[in-house]
Amino acid sequence: MTTVQAPPPSTPPSATPPSAPPAPAGALPAVRPPAPPRRSVPRRIRVITGVTVTALALLFGSLAVGSAAARDGLRVIGRDAGPQVLATAGLYFGLSDMDAQIADALLMGQGYGGRRQEALARYERRRSEANDALMKAFALSGDDPAGRRTVQSVLDGLGRYERLVGQALLLDSQARHPAGAPPEKVVEVYRQATDLMRLVLLPQAYNLTLESGTIVRRTYDDKSLTVPALRVAVIVTGLVALACLVWLQVYLARRFRRVFGLALLAATLATAVALVAGASVLGQDERDLRVAKTQGFDPVLNVARARAISNSMQGDQSRYLLDKVRADTYEHTYLDKAQTVFYLPAGNLDAYHAGVAASRQGYLGLMGDRLGGRAGEQALSAYQAFQRADTGFRALAASGRADDAVAARLGEVRQAFDTYDGALVTLSRGHEAAFRWAVGDGERALDDLWRLLPFAIGGIALLILAGVWPRLKEYR
Amino acid sequence: MKRIFPVALGLTALLAVTGLLAGGCAAGGRKSVLDADRIVIGVRPDLPSVGFRRPDGTFEGFDVDVARYIARKLGKGVTFEPVLAAEREKAITSGKADLVLATYTISMDRKQKVLFAGPYHISYQDILVRRDEGGIRNVRDLKGRRICEVQGSNAAQRVVTERKVAAQVVPFPDYAGCLAALKQDRVDAITTNDVILAGLAIRDGSGLRLANAQFNEQRTGVGMRKGDVEGCEEVNRAITEMYQDGTASRLLHHWFGKAGLNLSTIAVPQFEGCS
Repeated sequence: MTTVQAPPPSTPPSATPPSAPPAPAGALPAVRPPAPPRRSVPRRIRVITGVTVTALALLFGSLAVGSAAARDGLRVIGRDAGPQVLATAGLYFGLSDMDAQIADALLMGQGYGGRRQEALARYERRRSEANDALMKAFALSGDDPAGRRTVQSVLDGLGRYERLVGQALLLDSQARHPAGAPPEKVVEVYRQATDLMRLVLLPQAYNLTLESGTIVRRTYDDKSLTVPALRVAVIVTGLVALACLVWLQVYLARRFRRVFGLALLAATLATAVALVAGASVLGQDERDLRVAKTQGFDPVLNVARARAISNSMQGDQSRYLLDKVRADTYEHTYLDKAQTVFYLPAGNLDAYHAGVAASRQGYLGLMGDRLGGRAGEQALSAYQAFQRADTGFRALAASGRADDAVAARLGEVRQAFDTYDGALVTLSRGHEAAFRWAVGDGERALDDLWRLLPFAIGGIALLILAGVWPRLKEYR
Repeated sequence: MKRIFPVALGLTALLAVTGLLAGGCAAGGRKSVLDADRIVIGVRPDLPSVGFRRPDGTFEGFDVDVARYIARKLGKGVTFEPVLAAEREKAITSGKADLVLATYTISMDRKQKVLFAGPYHISYQDILVRRDEGGIRNVRDLKGRRICEVQGSNAAQRVVTERKVAAQVVPFPDYAGCLAALKQDRVDAITTNDVILAGLAIRDGSGLRLANAQFNEQRTGVGMRKGDVEGCEEVNRAITEMYQDGTASRLLHHWFGKAGLNLSTIAVPQFEGCS
């Protein structure tokens, strides 16, 4: 490993001499005093080596801490909290679809036979999905008492809701009414049920998603500070370690009149590689975390919220036909929700319909930032078609053609909604793919780094030993 | 070996300084309502039962109590600052108030300038009528009737343009004028935010009542500086607790129960979201 050189001219001292003038620790070889006494040489070598090893330890230390932080961030956003937050967004969707299905079933009466059964089956399916999402939300709330109380309260409320729905359905089938608004006593019970759902349960479900989303936001904010900071630390300590290695070589070269120590040269090279690789992996993870959060998690959660609120909108359409006393209120909540998802300034529903029909851009609201790209444009087109269908069925209802309005609501309006909902799902899938890719990419880079790290540490340690040990031995 | 320690120490210090610098730069310039020990909360001085300045200069009302509760949950001392409707946005953007709880309705326009925590209460537009009035039960019944309009409020216009109800709008400079006109049968109804109406009815005490028509849902939020996501999340947590521990129900009954405001459903509202 090392080249042969001349033995030192004098015998080494047996013990460490106390009288050696201490060289300044950080001094460069060029400004060093010309000839310190012979016996201080091994001490000097030990000191420089010690400093070098310390710098290397700090380099690998910050690399380890930095990559652990990045891995932790990717785990929380990509594997634990992130997906669970999205699952709780499914809770709102499930609950609001349950209520929409019941409104549809009541509206169908005796007129739609098999489709009523279908709606009830879908209600059951949504209920089991909602239960599943509730369990995930409970797990996610951890030891946060407020979150647990919210889940508990939704569970309790859901029990009450199902009881009321059971009553409404029983009264409804006893009434044997044709398609259209059911008798008043059915509406009265359903009113209690839907109030409980819309005013008590849905807000809590929505807040649960927002609250658990804070876990992801905090993790991201934290990691987007620490990972770059540790990357800077890696670069700084890496450069210091490289300088120390050079210093060690220069010292040895001068002292022992040799040009190169191959082992130390190799150690320097290995350190440089570790520095570059470490800094670039941390840089890549920083980018991957950002992509996963801003181009994956955020849009997916956004679209999930939009999808849930949109579903509640189509429930309001059925409720508008179902409950004549409250038709005005349901029309207004429909507009409110529409403006939450696709905001355009409009004082009433007519103005909003006209605005949506005429505008391809300028939207604010949940979907405001998501309309770029093919999937976004398709979602907007599908939404415009859905609003067109809404305009049509409300015109029928207003002109007194109640049966036609019900048929339109359960026919073309429903179809238009399903198309729009499908477009949202497609849009979300694109972002989900970006999310998974970024998380996977970041984790792969870290895996590669960790696979190489033990070899780098062991290799550099051995090389330094091989470079320094023979020199020290010469003094024995 | 002794020499290594100072060097190692130096390197560690270097590392720490680098870390601090990198961290400090990224977090620099941000200010959250959570940073201060005392906060200033803007409340209305002019609405009885909602936000009202007593003759001794102290404040009382539903918004004031909610503000106190939130400040306590955040662990902050609180100073109140009177804020009229037109001054709310400026109070936040100029930094005069850290939070504003002043019947501040969340809207997309306002969201461009300020951040809203909450809503802490969902109110509705409602109709205040004389005790013997039997013909006004919902907004459609206002057709052809005389409703008063207070300058600066768009509530009466909303009935006509948004609800397309052909009511006869009679202008007045303030709610005191409206109240007098209602009692002297010069108008048939006052329409605006239900908590404002409830406060007026209680203060008047002559038996005016709410129709409980509950149309035009309005989300009353906590206005705060845009960008203070963390502070907003904490305020939302405080609001959640306020509903969970029964304080919200107690306060609503205390301030508005007597006016016959419909309080059958008291539940935590759907939050706006902080980001």
